[in-house]
Amino acid sequence: MAQRADPHQLYQRAVQTPNADIWFIGATFRKLRGRAPVSLREDFCGTAFTATTWVQGHARRSAIGVDIDADTLAWGLEHNVLPAGPSVSRRIELVQGDVLEVETRKVDVVCALNFSYAVFKTRAMLRSYLKNARAALKRDGLVVLELFGGTESFVPLIEKQKRGRFTYVWEQKSFNPINHETVCQISFRFPDRSRLEPAFQYEWRLWTVPEIRELLAEAGFRASKVYWQKLDSRGEGTSDFYATEAAENQECFVAYVVGLP
Amino acid sequence: MPKSSSQRTRKRISTASRADRHELYERAVQDPESDITFLTRTFERLRGRPPLSLREDFCGTASFCAAWVGSRRDRTAIGIDLDPDTLAWGKRRHLASAPEHVGRRVHLHQADVRDAVGAKSDITCAFNFSYFVFKSCEGMRHYFRAVRSRLVDDGMFFIDLYGGPDSIKEDVTDTDYDDFLYHWDQAFFNPLTHDTLCHIHFSFPDGSRLNRAFSYDWRLWTVPELREILLEVGFRKVHCFWERSDRNGEGTGVFYEPKGPVHAEDCWWTYIAAER
Repeated sequence: MAQRADPHQLYQRAVQTPNADIWFIGATFRKLRGRAPVSLREDFCGTAFTATTWVQGHARRSAIGVDIDADTLAWGLEHNVLPAGPSVSRRIELVQGDVLEVETRKVDVVCALNFSYAVFKTRAMLRSYLKNARAALKRDGLVVLELFGGTESFVPLIEKQKRGRFTYVWEQKSFNPINHETVCQISFRFPDRSRLEPAFQYEWRLWTVPEIRELLAEAGFRASKVYWQKLDSRGEGTSDFYATEAAENQECFVAYVVGLP
Repeated sequence: MPKSSSQRTRKRISTASRADRHELYERAVQDPESDITFLTRTFERLRGRPPLSLREDFCGTASFCAAWVGSRRDRTAIGIDLDPDTLAWGKRRHLASAPEHVGRRVHLHQADVRDAVGAKSDITCAFNFSYFVFKSCEGMRHYFRAVRSRLVDDGMFFIDLYGGPDSIKEDVTDTDYDDFLYHWDQAFFNPLTHDTLCHIHFSFPDGSRLNRAFSYDWRLWTVPELREILLEVGFRKVHCFWERSDRNGEGTGVFYEPKGPVHAEDCWWTYIAAER
């Protein structure tokens, strides 16, 4: 089964929740800017799943997807963008390029989801990325970054989740407290005991919320906000996020940081 | 302070009311001898000469300054602290009773560490995480710049820090010192700012307590952040150390400069050293 499996397909099903991200982006933008966001640039877009879902959501919406990997973009074009039909695909532009340097037309929202910007391992690199993202924003635009943290993010960890016909495995192989570098892997396991292991590997610096906010300020953003996940009565995450300056730490959290240029 | 003239003194006086928080702090928290050994070894290895002059920022009772000048006859120390009462306590305890040649070689200044008062030194140190009071990159840069300006050309700056998953949990750890218990209370941690509020409490066999003998309102900084800020303000090289563990995973008190990744302990503390 592993041999026949398509890692991009499995990744989209196991990891991505474009509708939840888009709902958050739309609601937050309307609240902060008093209008609906129309244009989105998805950095590190991979298969452009979020960009495609964004455009499908409204006839006026457009998207630019930027990724450095041509093969992943080609997969996305074939499996996400083109199958959505010409009314959608003509409003999506895919750019193979480096998010540190790419120049695109100005948009309402630049987003970097699934922690992808964590590939930048120094303050100088992340600052330079944020500056470039800011340059692509309209005056009343927003940059939306997703990050994870919590006490368990600073130790090796393995987490398995059954997802229908396969098991999704998230493994934090290593974490080095001296430089906050972490190596994480995504694997997929199948009922016939075959595996895609690892299907994806990430070498990241684990950034903290205050570091990202300070770098946003250094990159010229006027303000930043943090959105924290509401928990239900059993302490489980809901997909509802609220702006706050203080929260109780958790073993594992996902949050959004939003920058206002 | 208990009122000695009052009738109330006939009642049993609790240990807590007679206890001196500075004395308890020095016994529970400070270990000047091992810090001096580490500073001396590291400086000699990197600079090829013994360090003689020390500046201790946030020196408190200046016990470290006193131990430093006591460790060699040609050593001098400058202690800087904002709090006049703590400095006065330190003078009485460590300098007034010491031999004259020791007291003469320690200079205490009541000042802000960012004002860079006093002569240049071979080493500046800020220990026991005291510099965590600076909560923004800009504030930390300002302080580190001041430190750099008061170091001699081949001077070095030493700080210590702690971390690990246990450091971002709200929790109390107790340590037994026979005649008292030391309680380290991580009362609050905010993951959105890394602000943390910690207290030190002491309790005694008679059940009395010194609650919140010391309180700290800090930002919990990470190693890579501090390293990058040190480089940004002009320090030429930054060395991060790590404590060697024994077979059971217990700390040995020996610190080394790791070449590769280190094991992420639940709770660790270590040194960073920066070459001017």
